[in-house]
Amino acid sequence: MHKRLFSLLAILLSFALLATACGDDEEAETVAEPEPAAAEPEPEDEMADISVGLVFDIGGRGDQSFNDSAAAGIERAVAELGITFTEASPEPDGSNRGELLQLAASAHDIVIGVGFLFEGDAAAVGAENPDTMFGVVDSAMLDFSGDTPTPFGDNIAGLVFAEHEGSFLVGAAAALKSETGKIGFIGGVANVGGLIERFEAGFNAGARAVNPDIEIIGDYITEAPDFDGFNAPDRAKEIALAMYEEGADIVYHAAGGSGAGLFQAALEQSDATGSKVWAIGVDSDQYHTADAGVRDHILTSMLKRVDVSIFEMIRSVIEGTMQPGPTTYDLSVDGVGYSTSGGFIDDIADQLDAFKAQIVSGDIAVPTEP
Amino acid sequence: MIYAAVGVLVLTVVQGFDDTERLTAVTSSQAMLRWAVPIMLAGLGGLFSERAGVVNIGLEGMLILGTWFGAWGAINYGGWAGLLIGMLGGGLGGLIHAVATVSFGVDHIISGVAINVTAPGVTRFLSSEILTNYDGGSITQSPRTPGVGRFTFPFLAGGDLFGWTTPDILGWFTDKDWFFVSDFTGLARGLVSQLSLATMIAFALVPASAWLIWRTRFGLRLRICGEHPVGGETQGINIYLYKYLGVVISGALAGLGGAFIASPELSGIYLEGQTNGRGFIGLAALIFGNWRPGGIMAGALLFGYPFGVGLRDLDGSASHALLLVNTIALAAVLAWALYRRRRIDAGLAAGLGLGAAVWYFMSTTVPDWWISILPFVIVLVVLVFFSQRLRMPRADGLPYRKGEA
Repeated sequence: MHKRLFSLLAILLSFALLATACGDDEEAETVAEPEPAAAEPEPEDEMADISVGLVFDIGGRGDQSFNDSAAAGIERAVAELGITFTEASPEPDGSNRGELLQLAASAHDIVIGVGFLFEGDAAAVGAENPDTMFGVVDSAMLDFSGDTPTPFGDNIAGLVFAEHEGSFLVGAAAALKSETGKIGFIGGVANVGGLIERFEAGFNAGARAVNPDIEIIGDYITEAPDFDGFNAPDRAKEIALAMYEEGADIVYHAAGGSGAGLFQAALEQSDATGSKVWAIGVDSDQYHTADAGVRDHILTSMLKRVDVSIFEMIRSVIEGTMQPGPTTYDLSVDGVGYSTSGGFIDDIADQLDAFKAQIVSGDIAVPTEP
Repeated sequence: MIYAAVGVLVLTVVQGFDDTERLTAVTSSQAMLRWAVPIMLAGLGGLFSERAGVVNIGLEGMLILGTWFGAWGAINYGGWAGLLIGMLGGGLGGLIHAVATVSFGVDHIISGVAINVTAPGVTRFLSSEILTNYDGGSITQSPRTPGVGRFTFPFLAGGDLFGWTTPDILGWFTDKDWFFVSDFTGLARGLVSQLSLATMIAFALVPASAWLIWRTRFGLRLRICGEHPVGGETQGINIYLYKYLGVVISGALAGLGGAFIASPELSGIYLEGQTNGRGFIGLAALIFGNWRPGGIMAGALLFGYPFGVGLRDLDGSASHALLLVNTIALAAVLAWALYRRRRIDAGLAAGLGLGAAVWYFMSTTVPDWWISILPFVIVLVVLVFFSQRLRMPRADGLPYRKGEA
């Protein structure tokens, strides 16, 4: 009997190992480098052997949002800078982030972690691999333990965004477009160092800049350290339905993969009541990344150009100008913005551009805390 | 029914204090149903397995398999096929558990944990092989899934009957805004209008399970596997067969719960990690329900209610009001403990109830985490006070080898 038990355990274990191993193989699939255009006379040829290891955040490639934007950036770098890259996604619980970074560091010149959750692991792995350049999206990568914040290392850069500025513009768009005078905001996870609160602050400020009396319903799905909020479309849908039923007609989300639930809610609510309600996407142009069936309900998207930041970081490494510590991508460099796909906000584009100009010139200071 | 009426009365009175209508709104009871279904199906799954004497801690893994297979089936073959294929996926998990625990005598907990660990790996692998080929799919998520239809009961909630719109009786009462009556009909109307057919099937499975387990020859044989397998063997029953059936049905029910999570009723998408531990809550509902279908349903509704209401509670007033509901519930427990002359229980209930009351009157809103832990607090309270009245199948979790009679 014991023999049987052990043989079964062995089978189970090897099954588990097999499953994990297969998974990893698939993730680490190398993407072939397209032929660099022969006519381009740029000095890329000497740099063509730069390779990048990209490690995605929760949600992985195809989240129609944050990670897809990162994928777009790396693909642009492949096309324009002639780099090669591999990609990987962590386990759902994120337990193997450090290992994936280490793995990437062992084979690549540049390692990029997509998401603030890589902060600690990237600092540790970066210290062990001083010849590899590290970039972490959404984290300043500053060590606050000393008297003055200093970068974790000369080879570690943080790619941060002025999300509040982009959110200001979609907030203004929501207020201009709202017919009920009531709009909503759904945040994924509260208290992550104020990251998602920046979206809310900008959104609220933008909406009130247009209509000081507008009513804004804000809610968060979960609170740190419970990160389910980025991964819970069912909960986002329930919250969105409640907001629409309270009379909000436009809801903005900053909740990663949970946003799919918001779009579903917008579709169902519109179908059920006959009056159209809207959602606003985040990070990438969700009119294009979300399912075709919900597209007509996506008013606009707050663009967080993760692609621009990743592309620029790779270029700075190639050119030898990489800055350790944080680099902020804001409205002035088009690191954030809004999308116009679908043409739903074409009629208010002038007003939004006026706001944008005022923010860039400093006439409007967008708050970062709600 | 009486319990439900008392419960609604308490909710009605309490929400008056907090000036909220969410506790008895139609949308609240609909949300309660939605959020209860996966928990209830996981609990019913656990019932079939544990009645056959196999502890199934792998429900979470079977739920995960159900989300993936359910979404895949729905995308390729439509909503109904999704539910069916989700059941098959979960049943597959159950089959592995059965092979391990019944045929090979592996410890039930170890096998269950192995399934919980393996299932996300399997779905990740399948996603990378299959979902990445779909437009809008990726290694962690699927495109949108289609659902099944909805149904509104005629007469009760004004549904159509052969093309004729029937009167909306419960709606009429609800619109009158009469104290308690309108609240009760409001909640009840939510239970019978715009109801997903999948939800209806899930709730129909409750009496069906009770009938199958307690009223049929199959059920009698299944139960003897959980109570006294050796005795069953002497009667010539093929214990292994019934244990296998129990565990596979268990997996299939959990798989149906998973498919429901991935259906548009809840998510409308397969997304890695979306079960959020609901398989374990189902296990809690099983224990809460004293290994009986009706109890499991009550437990699932009790857990689903704070989940659904908590999410819809945008200004926090309903969560705050629920604190007072807790106080009242604990007062009832206190009275029961005094009646039974159980001093320790009475003291505990008084202390907890007083704590909840103080918290209620000292605050105007409660933090978000409160309502998300409420279901687990309920389980703990029930286990603390009523665990002596709970009775699990006698041979549940014990090893059984053929020929030991």
